[in-house]
Amino acid sequence: MLRPFEIHEPATVAEASRLLARHGDDATVYAGGTELIPVLKDGLAHYRHLVNIKTVPGLDAIAAVGDDLRIGALATHRMIERSPVVRAHAPVLAQVAAGVANLRVRNVGTLGGNLCFAEPHSDPAAVLITQGATLVLARSDAERRVNADGFFVGILQTVRMPDEVLVRIEVPALRPGAGAAYARFALHERPTAGVAAVVVLDGDAVTAARVAVGSVGPVPARVPEAEEALVGRRPDPEVLREAAGRAGGAVEVLEDLYGSVDYKRHIVTVLASHALDEAVARARGRGH
Amino acid sequence: MSALRPAGGTAPVRPGVVGTSMRRVDALEKVTGAARFTGDMVVPGMLHGRVLRSPLPHARIARLEVTAAERMPGVRAVLTGADLLGAGFAGTDPYYGHAIKDRPIVAIDRVRFAGEPVAAVAADDPAAADEALLAIRVEYEELPAVTTVQAAMAAGAPPLHEGPLRPGLFHGLGELRREEGNVCYHYRFTRGDLDRVFTEADVVVEGEYTFPAVYQYAMEPHTVIAQWGADGLTVWACCQHPYLVRAELADVFRLPLPAVRIIVPYIGGGFGSKSYTKMEPITAALARKAGRPVLIANRIDEAMVTTRRHNMTATMRTAATRDGRVVARQCRIWLDTGAYADNGPRVAATAGDAAPGPYRWRAVNVDAWAVYTNTPPAGSYRAFGATHMQWIGEAQIDALARKVGLDPLEFRQRNLLRPGEEVRPGGQPLDADLVGDVTKVAAAIGWGGPKPPLVGRGVSVGLLAAGAHPVSTAAIRLQADGTAVLLVGTSELGQGARTVFTQIVAEELALPPDRIRVMGADTQFTPYDRSTGASRSTTLAGGAVQHAAVNLREQLLDIAASVWGLPRASLAVRDGAVWHETERLSYPDLLKRHFGMIGGELIGRGEVRPQHGTGSYAEGPVFWEVCVGGAEVELDPQTGQIRVRRLASVADVGKAINPQLVEAQEEGACLQGLGNALFEEMLFEDGHLINGSLLEYRVPTTADLPDEFRSILVENADGPGPYGAKGVGEGALAAVPAAIVNALADLGIDMRQLPLTPERVWRRARELGLAREVVS
Amino acid sequence: MDGRAPSMRMALTVNGGPVEAVIEPRELLLDFLRDRLGLTGAKRSCDVQVCGACTVLLDGQAVSACCTLAYEARGREVTTIEGLAADGHLHPLQEAFIEHAAVQCGFCTPGMILTAATLLHDVPAPTAEQAKDYLKGTLCRCTGYWKIIEAVVDAGRRTRETRE
Repeated sequence: MLRPFEIHEPATVAEASRLLARHGDDATVYAGGTELIPVLKDGLAHYRHLVNIKTVPGLDAIAAVGDDLRIGALATHRMIERSPVVRAHAPVLAQVAAGVANLRVRNVGTLGGNLCFAEPHSDPAAVLITQGATLVLARSDAERRVNADGFFVGILQTVRMPDEVLVRIEVPALRPGAGAAYARFALHERPTAGVAAVVVLDGDAVTAARVAVGSVGPVPARVPEAEEALVGRRPDPEVLREAAGRAGGAVEVLEDLYGSVDYKRHIVTVLASHALDEAVARARGRGH
Repeated sequence: MSALRPAGGTAPVRPGVVGTSMRRVDALEKVTGAARFTGDMVVPGMLHGRVLRSPLPHARIARLEVTAAERMPGVRAVLTGADLLGAGFAGTDPYYGHAIKDRPIVAIDRVRFAGEPVAAVAADDPAAADEALLAIRVEYEELPAVTTVQAAMAAGAPPLHEGPLRPGLFHGLGELRREEGNVCYHYRFTRGDLDRVFTEADVVVEGEYTFPAVYQYAMEPHTVIAQWGADGLTVWACCQHPYLVRAELADVFRLPLPAVRIIVPYIGGGFGSKSYTKMEPITAALARKAGRPVLIANRIDEAMVTTRRHNMTATMRTAATRDGRVVARQCRIWLDTGAYADNGPRVAATAGDAAPGPYRWRAVNVDAWAVYTNTPPAGSYRAFGATHMQWIGEAQIDALARKVGLDPLEFRQRNLLRPGEEVRPGGQPLDADLVGDVTKVAAAIGWGGPKPPLVGRGVSVGLLAAGAHPVSTAAIRLQADGTAVLLVGTSELGQGARTVFTQIVAEELALPPDRIRVMGADTQFTPYDRSTGASRSTTLAGGAVQHAAVNLREQLLDIAASVWGLPRASLAVRDGAVWHETERLSYPDLLKRHFGMIGGELIGRGEVRPQHGTGSYAEGPVFWEVCVGGAEVELDPQTGQIRVRRLASVADVGKAINPQLVEAQEEGACLQGLGNALFEEMLFEDGHLINGSLLEYRVPTTADLPDEFRSILVENADGPGPYGAKGVGEGALAAVPAAIVNALADLGIDMRQLPLTPERVWRRARELGLAREVVS
Repeated sequence: MDGRAPSMRMALTVNGGPVEAVIEPRELLLDFLRDRLGLTGAKRSCDVQVCGACTVLLDGQAVSACCTLAYEARGREVTTIEGLAADGHLHPLQEAFIEHAAVQCGFCTPGMILTAATLLHDVPAPTAEQAKDYLKGTLCRCTGYWKIIEAVVDAGRRTRETRE
């Protein structure tokens, strides 16, 4: 049941931030509402002040700056899925956006909202982490930049301060010789597991690799053990399989109704294998 | 020939409406959003009700304080168990329950499951009601909870129900006794010398099996409006059985039957979740306290703790000879019926009867217990009993076939009962060609053909005792303008009953369908129909409808015969008129002649009742619904996921009055079966439902559709309903999980637990050394 | 600057006609449409945005009205099932759902048809596979979906033929 609240309509990010500061625990950012409204309905939280940042113009803009991609925090999953700019610069992001929840949620749910809510069973974060994305947080007149892989600190917890607004996500272009991929496993409305991979090849050697796993632990996280098993080696099937096995073995896994620990580790291994195979194939396709 | 068919009457001469896929009479309303469901209705002065539910699975209510809630803005009344015992409800029986009267309308001194109603608030709007719930103070003294059958039956377990057992109004359960060890009901039968036959057999298979609690998920949650007036109690509700609910409410509130009126708008799915009495008593009691009409609508998480499918464990062993004859089966079944009986006794009996399967046994022994636990009550869900047992019995049939080196299809062809053979002593013999049915289904999934790797095929055969109790009446009012109004107390759940009845009336009265109106069930106007469920409406209510139409036709023929001075046998009905050669008298003409004016009406009546004995469950069933299915599946060994490639089912319906609607029922049942088989499971922790939301309780979507589904229509005119019809709608649900289990067994993976989640299948495949690992 | 008072005035278009109302910020679009405007075609079922029974179109996009504030409809165009038929003619999807018996209990039907309408807007003559993929987030418990897919494909084909 929804208890009464006011809706504020700031014209600028600074104004939004001031409203959040003024009302403290009684206030929250209100964007697409796809995570917030169900929480309010359930009575799991109550805020008397909703700061509607959709009234701030320009926060949903998607643009390429050089080869880098800038995605406004209020870009919906649907916009990201269909954006020619995203498809050109970070096609895996577009692919992932197309798979979030269902089409009604994708029509109004925002990438920024998804990241700030930090529901563990979720897809976009792992991809952003492997692509070295930066989240830009704003408070009044100041901006703060946080790496995607440092943004999440716990279940439903991020480093965002209560009076900060996530304004955009910056995704650097993939390096020459890099290939990106994402593989997921879902039986319910939310995913059970997801593995994102970016592999950079120079000739026959892996010069860099990022592997991030989402949905199985409290936060989406890189698995350095898997990455180390790839760098400096040839991207042969046995190497990729070993790295995938390391991903499944090393990642932090919580047991819940989506699966037991050993099954989830196994699924992560399977997904990592698929993601790495595909990332390598794409890296090869992009030259070098 | 069944005596349920109409006797006599001149056959109509017109192109048949029966047997055609006529468009649904309610489709236009539904596609335009005009169709009204209970929650769409507004009764003047209506208040909104919300229910406070126990957070604990077993506790004494030490203190319940509602004064603060009563004083809140917009709150008009708060109902508690104390009210039911007080002066305001003098004469009211606070307990209800169609099988066993063990359920208080609102908890009185004790709660027996997490989710049990403890209080109810009526307020001007839902928000005010919700706020008031928060202001109710309850102090509980926790009691030891027994949340599994094992715990409930263990020595020293707290008894959940004590004192003399009060039977409900339900019939055909035999003698009900207070049993030991939290047993709600025990159903048993034994035939032949079990021990001797097992000893003499050549091969035996045995196992222990687990079946989950499943949520029916009718998309419309339980919704009830209750209003008291000078005439008595009026209830608008999504009731599958308005007459049984009427009887129960009349009993509880000590009213004569006509003083309780149940009106049933369109129902947004039933599947058994709206069978018998659910939210009607609490809504009626709250309305009485408030002195105003009250609407209560469950949320989905509330619906999940209102009714569910019984979870179950079972042991079974089956014996056969080495030349492939089954000889004996023993089965013990424990059904978790939750805190209150609801339909537990009938489910136990039906599961017990489904356990043997349609085979010829020399000895069979079955014990089925419905056991009380501190969990939400379990009741009816489509194909209960058969869905519980068919996957087990049929898995053992397959295992025996493999042990003696026979193809599982051939094994069945040898052992299945033939039409006319006894299924159980004294009851309705088999009235379907099961060998023909299973052979067709096997062909539909490519049985015997080459199989790609990781693809398996399975078939399954079962029977479901259908028809419930054969009591139905119907009336048709032929108006002065030649329009017919059909009155029948069947609920329109989505199965298309109103359409099928229209077709029958159109056929028998030679009227165009658009000149026939079917009124929704309303106990004030539509005469008694025992229930809507157990695949009985076309067969039984349809039979009464047909009788009523024939009765009306005879009246019309009589009038025409009298007008023309001709013998009735020389007359026929066609195109809304009675004809003698080229002379015709339209129905409006006939009425005008009969009444001497443009006015009046003719009323046809029809009745279906037991032809022998009392028509009880034990003496029947009315007919056996076949549960025959085939599945071809592909296994992903990396994840354990099963992809269903092909599914087939048989609709053995005697006569398909509307073939498209038969197919529609099959398709829906098939997908519910697929959900039950692959992923549907209510998860409980210490009696608390932990996945009480569609986010975490998965139901089938378009992404789960098999590549191919075929429903094979079989029409052998061997049913007791109109034109030889018998019901459909449940068989596929029971058959699909069994066929999928057998398809996995074809791959060497025997599963003993449903649902077949990827994790469970993966784990079992690994145990058997069958999964191909990606990494070592 | 203060936020909105607990009640606010709103103007919007519903099924092509203007509507003005005073709403509370916390009011849900589903309750606004059903209880205030009497448009009961959209239904409350799962209440958590999963099933699609509450689907309405907001500026042509399908949204879950059970989890959308009425406030979000201000100045915008809402389409419900009651607004789909134009000038007394049923939408091709409505015709197709009737013809193919893609309706049973009818509770999911308004949401299903509206969602399919947005599909036909994006993909005029979808294949069965496209229809299945598009509709995988809209639930039906009665039909098993087959006849719904047939109806959508048929309606798409007929719409394209009409255009040609």
